[in-house]
Amino acid sequence: MSSVFFIVILISCAAASAAAFQIREIRIADSSGNWGAPNPYHHYPRGPGYIRMSWVFDTLIWKGRNGYIPAIAQSWSFDADKQAFTFNLNPKAKWHDGRPLISEDVVFTLAYFKKHPYHWISVDKVSRAEAKGLHTVIVYLSKPYAPFLPEIGGTMPVLPKHIWEFVENPEMFNTPQAFIGSGPYRFRDFNKARGTYLYEAFADYYQGPPKADRLIYVRSGKPLISLVTGEVDMAAIQADMAEPLRQNGMIVIKDERGWNRKLMINHRKPPFDSRQFRQALAYAINQKEIIDKAHRGFGTRASYGLLSIDHEMYNPDTPAYPYDTDKAVKIIEFLGYRRSPHGFFSQNGRPLTVELLVSNNIIAGQSVADRDGEVIQKQLEAVGIRVDLVNMEQTTMDTKLKQWKFDLAVSGHGGISGDPRILSEMISSRYGAGSVNSARYDENTELNRLLEEQMREMDPEKRKAIVFKIQELYAWDLPAISLYYPESMTAYAPGKGIEWFYTKGGIGKGIPIAQNKISLIN
Amino acid sequence: MRKSSHIQLASVYLLAGLVMTYASYQVPAYLPGDFVTAMYSSSNVTLTADQEIRLRAFHTREEGFKSYLLNLFRLNWGYSHAFLAPVSDLILEALPWTLLLLGSAHLISMFLGFMAGVEVAWRRGGFLEKIGVGCMTVLEGIPEIGTGVVLLLVFVLYLGWFPASGAETAYAIHTPLEQVGDVAHHLILPLFTLVLSYFPGNFLLTRASMAMVLKEQFIQTARAKGLPPSRIRYAHAARNALLPLVTRFGLRIAFMVTGALVVETIYAYPGLGTLMFNAIAVRDLPLIQGIVLFSSLTILFINLLLEYVYGWLDPRVKDAY
Repeated sequence: MSSVFFIVILISCAAASAAAFQIREIRIADSSGNWGAPNPYHHYPRGPGYIRMSWVFDTLIWKGRNGYIPAIAQSWSFDADKQAFTFNLNPKAKWHDGRPLISEDVVFTLAYFKKHPYHWISVDKVSRAEAKGLHTVIVYLSKPYAPFLPEIGGTMPVLPKHIWEFVENPEMFNTPQAFIGSGPYRFRDFNKARGTYLYEAFADYYQGPPKADRLIYVRSGKPLISLVTGEVDMAAIQADMAEPLRQNGMIVIKDERGWNRKLMINHRKPPFDSRQFRQALAYAINQKEIIDKAHRGFGTRASYGLLSIDHEMYNPDTPAYPYDTDKAVKIIEFLGYRRSPHGFFSQNGRPLTVELLVSNNIIAGQSVADRDGEVIQKQLEAVGIRVDLVNMEQTTMDTKLKQWKFDLAVSGHGGISGDPRILSEMISSRYGAGSVNSARYDENTELNRLLEEQMREMDPEKRKAIVFKIQELYAWDLPAISLYYPESMTAYAPGKGIEWFYTKGGIGKGIPIAQNKISLIN
Repeated sequence: MRKSSHIQLASVYLLAGLVMTYASYQVPAYLPGDFVTAMYSSSNVTLTADQEIRLRAFHTREEGFKSYLLNLFRLNWGYSHAFLAPVSDLILEALPWTLLLLGSAHLISMFLGFMAGVEVAWRRGGFLEKIGVGCMTVLEGIPEIGTGVVLLLVFVLYLGWFPASGAETAYAIHTPLEQVGDVAHHLILPLFTLVLSYFPGNFLLTRASMAMVLKEQFIQTARAKGLPPSRIRYAHAARNALLPLVTRFGLRIAFMVTGALVVETIYAYPGLGTLMFNAIAVRDLPLIQGIVLFSSLTILFINLLLEYVYGWLDPRVKDAY
């Protein structure tokens, strides 16, 4: 009897302490504010847009601190003979309107995204999906597709069939029903003028009620000041603010190197169509000096093979181009250029002049003036290449890149610590035609073949060998030159007991933002 | 004003309105790049060539100016590509904040600048005038971005008296009275920044106008009649010095879209400037066209209003028609 009484007391205390630790709200600052309404067809095709949707819509599986963890699917397996993935769904999973989430919803979602593409993911390689009972789904591939788990299993939001089966025009569907998901938070408001978002905890969430009752995103001109004054609980910060914030009692977390700044090269026109000339550029550019002068030393020199040095498939033997101006000069002279008394190269009386385009750089989620261009200009001029530096607005520069109306341009992108699919997207024009960050380089047939092959190779070890070779060939051909990985940091107030973290390989298919919903799930 | 003058004025304004509507429709289309490039080309999404063609077809609805004009008459201002919402809804969502911030900044700075300008001009040659003109000239030269950032650092970061961003505490649960207080609390710093920026110009303009008016014979007559100084200052002199200030007020209000962009950015204050800035960044053509049109029509309306205000303030203007 006394032990029963003791257990009752213990349970009551546990319940009381859980209630006491329930957080009223979490506020996150963001300098832009507008990332679209949080559903697959309304959010902006950028990381912050996907993150805002991820609170509302759950995926089959999800990336936790140490790789994939169950989400809607509590277990999954792959049958190589049938080229089929089987997902066993959590029977407790529910939609925000109270209806149960069943296998038909997953089957429907895949079919719906085939009919009405959700551009964040591609379901082209899925031939069909089959519901086995209420809680088992088998997804058949039309051909082997290595990025299936990161691209679809861990990124594709599952839609409620009972709502979306009647929606013919998803882009125009924006009633409250369009935001009914199965995630830990219900979407309540997106104020487009103020750039604010409000979410409320979904008490019936299948993994238990979330830790905070309300989740709020606010737009802030100076997120750092908002954080320091206590207006918000979390904000992305610039690396040089880390130490003062730590001394102020904030917790500062640092991301792996999943974003790279790189020099885009118009390899379709002379002299950049010469691999040797591109290699000369690489020798002429001092990556460390860019980091030191433009970023006060906060950053890491990038691998010339594109994939992050933190990636498990990073090839440490990737060809490198240590800063060597003599080598750069010799290569350019070998290519038939002669130096004038002023120190600049020319060929047949025509000076070697290149145009270098730059636009704003994104640091800590904020758009800041570019300084990399000036450093690169000085470095190239030091070896005799005259540089016209042109600073322009982002979309104007993107348009020029898209139309190949440029010589050199400083750009950047993330995803390099996620699935190696990024290599195909950022190298081959077959996968990256729509991206200005893609080199769209098809000159090397061996490289093209490997880029195709790595997408089909389901054996991780074999795929790793292919990815190693891709990095070697890419670094040898240099259709673009990776420059450095900037330091990406987030600071948060520890008072509310939440442990935010950067997800290895990025959230979903590679978003380097420290707002993984796991942090708010009990 | 005669009836024929009214008709003439209305015709001119109607024609100007039509030209401005065409310009608002056509000029934004000359921006380099389009929505699909801006939104997708450097995003986390890598589109295939086919997907890009489909998206471009979806977001490019070339209907022609005639159709655009007809839609405007039906109060259909278009549909934003980025927000997937009607343009008119977005403008109406941002407009109250712009009116609150810019409207109060202009009214306060005009009133204070006018009063100070009148008083200083009346004490021409005195210490107060020398100090006032010196300080105001310096203040006039400081850009909003400078005062805004300094005020933010002092009053937000160090003193912690005011919030750093926004027009209100987002989603706070307040009583109506607390809500008013919260909005006012958020308004003070951006408002003060703008008042500091607009006040010197109003002051210097009023002082210069007053200096001219005070030399007029009718002022000497008023003094000779033994009228009290305050009556001479305000009823006789200041009223005549008001016209340039009203013109300045009208012109400033007309630029309400871009007028507060810097302050809106520093304090993350919502408004038409931020909406326009974001629309241009993603080449959201319908939204850019809508805001430019709204801004153009506002300029036209303010000008029309000023025609009548001038007549009311100075009957000589009315008689000129």
